[in-house]
Amino acid sequence: MLVNTLAFSSTTRGRSVVSRFDWQVIGQYFASDRVFQGLERTLLLTLIAMAIGIAGGIVLAVMRLSANPIVSGTAWVYIWFFRGTPVLLQIYFWFNLNFLYPNLTLGVPFGPALYHADTNGLITKFVAAFLALGLNEAAYMAEIVRAGILSVDEGQTEAAQALGMTRLQTMRRIVLPQAMRVIIPPTGNETISMLKTTSLVSVIAYTELLYAVQLIYSVNYQIVPLLIVAALWYLIVTTVLTIGQYYVERHFGRGSARMLPPTPIERLRTLVLRSPESKAL
Amino acid sequence: MSVRRSARLLALPLVALVAAAGCGGSSGGKQSVSTQNSPGASASVDSAAAALLPASVKSKGSLTVAADASYAPNEFIGTDGKTVEGMDADLAAALGKVLGVKVTVENQSFDSIIPGIVDGKYDLGMSSFTDNKTREKQVDFVDYFVAGTSFFVKANGGPKVNTLADLCGLSVSVEKGTTQQDDATAQSGKCTKAGKKKVSVSVFPDQSGANLALSSGKVQVSMADSPVAAYQVKQSNGQFALSGQAYGTAPYGIACTKGTGLDNAILAALKDVMASGTYTQILDKWGIQSGAITTPTINGATS
Repeated sequence: MLVNTLAFSSTTRGRSVVSRFDWQVIGQYFASDRVFQGLERTLLLTLIAMAIGIAGGIVLAVMRLSANPIVSGTAWVYIWFFRGTPVLLQIYFWFNLNFLYPNLTLGVPFGPALYHADTNGLITKFVAAFLALGLNEAAYMAEIVRAGILSVDEGQTEAAQALGMTRLQTMRRIVLPQAMRVIIPPTGNETISMLKTTSLVSVIAYTELLYAVQLIYSVNYQIVPLLIVAALWYLIVTTVLTIGQYYVERHFGRGSARMLPPTPIERLRTLVLRSPESKAL
Repeated sequence: MSVRRSARLLALPLVALVAAAGCGGSSGGKQSVSTQNSPGASASVDSAAAALLPASVKSKGSLTVAADASYAPNEFIGTDGKTVEGMDADLAAALGKVLGVKVTVENQSFDSIIPGIVDGKYDLGMSSFTDNKTREKQVDFVDYFVAGTSFFVKANGGPKVNTLADLCGLSVSVEKGTTQQDDATAQSGKCTKAGKKKVSVSVFPDQSGANLALSSGKVQVSMADSPVAAYQVKQSNGQFALSGQAYGTAPYGIACTKGTGLDNAILAALKDVMASGTYTQILDKWGIQSGAITTPTINGATS
């Protein structure tokens, strides 16, 4: 890839300063303040959006599986709406909510207003960003959680009912812990995907990692090196998240097999320290 | 329609013939070509200017022009949803007619245009580029217009902004990669140094986002080139108003790749377009005659 890039840049017209694999520039910006600030915002957005998404997803999934048609119908409408429109559109919508609702009031219907706010002041760029991403994610997570719940054998629910557990107890203590084994891998997927989806909030001028890098290169024209800086940071965070997902899966996989397979670190340790002393231990 | 097309097809080999025969002479043969009735209907091909085109453009027979079409009235997407229209598009078409080449105007994001010209992806950049010394390091500019930066605010209850210094403590929206982005960010630094509140600058990927932020009340002021600000105010039906005077009047330049000689060809063609009255016609059409210049130059930036 390096050779191809060098070959390409030598054949383009004009000595181009903008398409070289410039490690000096990469090193210069990799740990710069603006990039760190962008990274911080990306991570914060991912965290909050996934928190809202997972919590909302679990609630919606349980609602979907309810016998009550109003409850499951409401959940269906939510999932239909938030999966049915592009995330980008939802970001714009939340950011410009004041066009539809200039003021937000919380109160008793036909009674006093308990809380009144000007929409513009309440819905800042950050709030619009995590609302849009989080609520959209909740719709997708709802389907993932529902799949996990469906994967738990019906016999488990029957046994719990035979023991006299309420529906909530059954869900919380029997079904959901077993459903987690099936929920974790796609959720890990969604989290890693959310890390990149946050780059969409650049359209409301919220400077997360990719946009921070774009703003830098829009002035100094070092496009490719700066995009590489952003790519490297995304890869580093994705690696950390992937390792995290592995250990979370192991935690919820307890009891699924007699002995869980060794982790890569345990395997490495066995390989390196293969000696009579370690075997005795 | 078929008469026009066959007349244009005839023009190219004839131009080549005349150019080959009498190239370098004091007055190249002018060939009349009848064209459609947009500004520049009476344009004729100037073979001397066409001869200055670099070999790659001559062999292609066309010029690719890049513009960020979110900047009415200079460049914007027309009602058909795909054609770039506006002052820059009309001027590009007029230049193409004089040079006897086909011109295609492409919509590209603003900050990708200059790198694209340096790389040779596009021949020209006509996207309301302010000619300044920093950009002249990357490309050559043929200056064709002057514009400053104007502030525009909400007509009811908007703040009064006369100069950059009045921005302290206010929220501003600008487009990414523009001189306004640099100015607003620099002003914020100056404000904090003077002990005042900083300028809250919202940088949007395109001017439409910046305008939307102003109309939805997310920011108090927006900054854009004076023709664009004036057009926004006109189109807003009284929602926006210009504030203060335009500052930093600087030339607009057509960006060309350095070292190819394309800038000389464009300069010659531009002089023809001005002489024939097409230039004034185009500016009048979009209501931006105030930025007209009389003598185009190459790399005329003073800062």
